[in-house]
Amino acid sequence: MEQLTNLVISDRELGTISAVLTKLMNDTNATSTMLLDKSGQVVVVHGSGIKRNATTLGALLAGVFSSSREVAKLLNEKDFRNIFQQGVQENIYTSMVEEQWLLVIIFDKLTHIGLVKVLSKKASDELGRILERVRNDTTRAKSSVLNLQFRSSVEDTIDLLFRD
Amino acid sequence: MALINIATHEIHCKIVYYGIGYCGKTTNLQHVYKSINPHARGDMLSIATETERTLFFDFLPLDLGTVYGFRTRFHLYTVPGQILYERTRLAVLNGADGIVFVVDSQREKFEENIQSLVELEMNMRRIGKDLGSFPFVLQWNKRDLPSAAPVPVLDHYMNRRRVPTFEAVASQGRGVFATLRAISKTVMAQL
Repeated sequence: MEQLTNLVISDRELGTISAVLTKLMNDTNATSTMLLDKSGQVVVVHGSGIKRNATTLGALLAGVFSSSREVAKLLNEKDFRNIFQQGVQENIYTSMVEEQWLLVIIFDKLTHIGLVKVLSKKASDELGRILERVRNDTTRAKSSVLNLQFRSSVEDTIDLLFRD
Repeated sequence: MALINIATHEIHCKIVYYGIGYCGKTTNLQHVYKSINPHARGDMLSIATETERTLFFDFLPLDLGTVYGFRTRFHLYTVPGQILYERTRLAVLNGADGIVFVVDSQREKFEENIQSLVELEMNMRRIGKDLGSFPFVLQWNKRDLPSAAPVPVLDHYMNRRRVPTFEAVASQGRGVFATLRAISKTVMAQL
């Protein structure tokens, strides 16, 4: 399947995504939740503990997920849809949303994994519906952002910053 | 895939440095990290073996600051170059918006470079992309070495798509930013 070149997330959809993540965090009593693009870029992050490291966490978790998909293929599986990383204090549960996004929940020993699995499945379904709308809106929304002034301005910034 | 977040006024793009083992992909990122304004970069992350060969990827987030109201960020990645890690390269390529193919100019590396380029084309097809219409530049690295093949020869065999090329000595920083400027602009132009 041809991938989209980019994905544009509007104010309204970001608000809806945030609400889904906040509800998931509250219902599971998780310490943090994140929504990542499969390329590792952070769409939304909730939970104060990880905000500072969110960019690096995003790159690493997406890398782990992407790597696990290749492992799945070697085992003739289509993919592994969920990954559970268990620590002494903190655990991470990552699940795929419609081949495009990764839903990440970070929780401690007070939360049971079963609850996380069930509620993250529910949240993934909702996020999948939002993603569908985002995909449909992308072309229209993109033209409002990437206008001529932006393009010329970004070229000047690249010249200014990326130099010896 | 670039992510444009209208609500938070952010644009994120992913650029991947591809090429054979020891061609200088990590060295490119290290030079950018060392030389760029510290305010414009985050921490560089390397997942390497004990002998400092890239095991999974290197990662360097760059922040261009606010451009016309949008905070613009580039995330630079390298793939592990060793033949063994083909599947890992595919994993890192996922979601890329632009590719820099770093060529080790030494004559004895010629065939290995070609094989890696063929592998890249195949991997792009696997993730549903056509390298021919994708933001893509070539860097002829290690131009200072006596065994470096002439640029026209490299160009003839490795640049049949006629994409922009840059001579470089990444270990001295030569050509590193010229390459980065070119791929960044190409990525933005194709958004």
